[in-house]
Amino acid sequence: MPTINIEGGGSLSCRSGCILLDALLSGNTFSESPCGGRGLCGKCRVTVLSGAVSEITPDELRLLDKEEIKQGVRLSCMTKVLGDCSIRLPKKESGHRILTGGLLPEFDRDPLKGFGIAADIGTTTIALSLLDLESGKELFSASDINPQKIYGQDVLTRISYEMEHGTKAVADLQSAVIDCMNLLISRLCNKAGISPEQILRISVAANCCMTHMLLGINAETLGRSPYQPVFTEAKTVSAAALGLKAGKDTLLYCLPQISAYLGGDITAGASACRLFEETRTVLFIDIGTNGEILLTHGGRILGCSCAAGPALEGMNISCGMRAAEGAVEDVLIHRAVTLNTIGDAPPSGLCGSGILASVRELIKGGYIKKTGAFVSCELQPEPRLLIPDGSRRKAVLCGTPEISVTQEDIRQVQLAKGAILSGFTVLLREAGISMEELDLVIVAGQFGSHLPVSSLTGIGLLPECLSDRILYAGNTSKTGAVMALLSEKERKKMEHLAKQIDHIDLVTTKGYEQIFAQCMAFPIKAKENKHE
Amino acid sequence: MNKEDLFQQISDNVVEMEDEAVEELCEQSLRQGIDAAETINCGLIPGMDRVGTLYEEGEYFLPEVLTASFALNAGLDILRPHIKKEENKERIRLVIGVVEGDTHDIGKNLVKIMSESAGFEVIDLGRDVPLDRFIDTAEKEHCDFICLSTLMTTTMPGMKTVIDHLKERNIRDKYKVMIGGGPVSQKFADEIGADAYTVDAASAVRKMKELKGILS
Repeated sequence: MPTINIEGGGSLSCRSGCILLDALLSGNTFSESPCGGRGLCGKCRVTVLSGAVSEITPDELRLLDKEEIKQGVRLSCMTKVLGDCSIRLPKKESGHRILTGGLLPEFDRDPLKGFGIAADIGTTTIALSLLDLESGKELFSASDINPQKIYGQDVLTRISYEMEHGTKAVADLQSAVIDCMNLLISRLCNKAGISPEQILRISVAANCCMTHMLLGINAETLGRSPYQPVFTEAKTVSAAALGLKAGKDTLLYCLPQISAYLGGDITAGASACRLFEETRTVLFIDIGTNGEILLTHGGRILGCSCAAGPALEGMNISCGMRAAEGAVEDVLIHRAVTLNTIGDAPPSGLCGSGILASVRELIKGGYIKKTGAFVSCELQPEPRLLIPDGSRRKAVLCGTPEISVTQEDIRQVQLAKGAILSGFTVLLREAGISMEELDLVIVAGQFGSHLPVSSLTGIGLLPECLSDRILYAGNTSKTGAVMALLSEKERKKMEHLAKQIDHIDLVTTKGYEQIFAQCMAFPIKAKENKHE
Repeated sequence: MNKEDLFQQISDNVVEMEDEAVEELCEQSLRQGIDAAETINCGLIPGMDRVGTLYEEGEYFLPEVLTASFALNAGLDILRPHIKKEENKERIRLVIGVVEGDTHDIGKNLVKIMSESAGFEVIDLGRDVPLDRFIDTAEKEHCDFICLSTLMTTTMPGMKTVIDHLKERNIRDKYKVMIGGGPVSQKFADEIGADAYTVDAASAVRKMKELKGILS
């Protein structure tokens, strides 16, 4: 069995052919791998000082620069251990990291000593933060893909799995998320040099479906009209009883839900953005596969959720891909097409921000009509990007490999944009106010923070008149979970807040279909719209 | 204006989604003493057919189809009271709705619009429709097709239930069952034994004509 010697002390052994990252993780020595060991993020760098390891892979050649390669830097997730070797781990980050949320309000913390976990459980990603309860500081964070994805990418497919397989499915879905949380807890504890038993509290902000599934409660009723959750109130349960690695008396707190499609993650966001104290007219929007929207006006908070579909995340798009190496994240069409890719790698597809930027540029350049249809090939402006695509047309942004935007892609973006814009149009109408009367628009969510104002207004997801009032709040679900972890007072406020939000059901709103149809139009000013 | 020009203008204005112009032209057709049924069949319906083609070709999308259908309906509202006698010719009759548990009905509404403009008789049960109501309605109204729609994976099994109940009542062969909606696929249609599935509303109409042996 090969031995891995770690510079500065320590060694571990593993079988020959083992992935270095796995060996390090099982030896509890190393944990930075945001992409889950898929060779995408380049965060799991180590330096191989000597010894027998596998050849460098193309993924690594892409992610590492020449100097690093010369020094023996490797991605541990791509490197196999073939015999004894010596490695150097990267320097530990010093000091505390500030919450990436950016918008952590002032609040009273409970007087406590020890450690706590704040969890943000999303349909796609599970993110945990380890906090020092006394100082309120975040020590480390770790995330992974929600392993429930093997039962379905979206919540409805997972609910279908429960409908088909009953209690077995409920147990499968629960243990998938618990296992993932345990893995992340181990990583965080190793990194901080503490044992999981030292974790005194856990708080969870999740959408309503994920909360049901975490607690082992069948979510079937969420998947059918009238879309009723089994419960909406905050839940406090024993972490050990759920099978979580923590202290034996540790309690897990789930933030209260508002309705079936406005979950604890939105309560968290509303709380983190202090919407209940808001005297101004504020629109809060969390952009994702489901867009959740809240509006504060005149002492009321209205909320709705809309099925935007995965187009804004680069899915269901002909050249779509997740935000990974080589994904186009921004586009400029001016005399020629300029593509900016993640990691400056050769372009391989369009991620969510890339598809929005493409559509924005195609609108701006006059390639797309207000209705979303491409102009004819003959009438297109310079540079000529449109070519026939069957009976339709497509815009080719890059020749090899071909990256293009098809008519169907535009339609997918219109559906997503129409869903979200119609959502807040309905809320504004319900409150009896106009777009111009909004004081502030808060864009929440990890995904939304990658969408620049120019794209949001360029495709008309938000009207141009609001462009000077948009604030990015980052991952407010996590921020809210942190607040709930640290403060009894905040938890009480959240429980009160969740009950105050009026949920508006869009689909059954009178005239919704027409509002939705109107909201699908692109913002093209009449004088520019010469091809209509 | 001669008849042919008038029909052409009505058709063009349906395509251009100009409901007020359609209304005016239909009023004019009545003043000129043109048979209302003829104006519908030679002006309004050909216009909506062109809308269907534009939709299939990607030129038009949901908003244009909806708006064009408002123009169509504006014209129909004016002409229908003047139809001398309801034609007694065989028309395709269908019952359509969103299956129980689901309230998303925009896709269903598109199929309804396209079917009506193709001259089919459509009985719309709306959304969140109890499954047996599809069968009871089809029986009572002598329908040719049962059209089931859903946007959610969780309510797809209801489509199978409808087919199973038709079998249990020994009337499966009386009806063609057609399904559609976001998560529905040809594979699913095959699995549950549906007669037809199409990806969109325009092809749904073509498929129904094909199944009834009507050439379009």
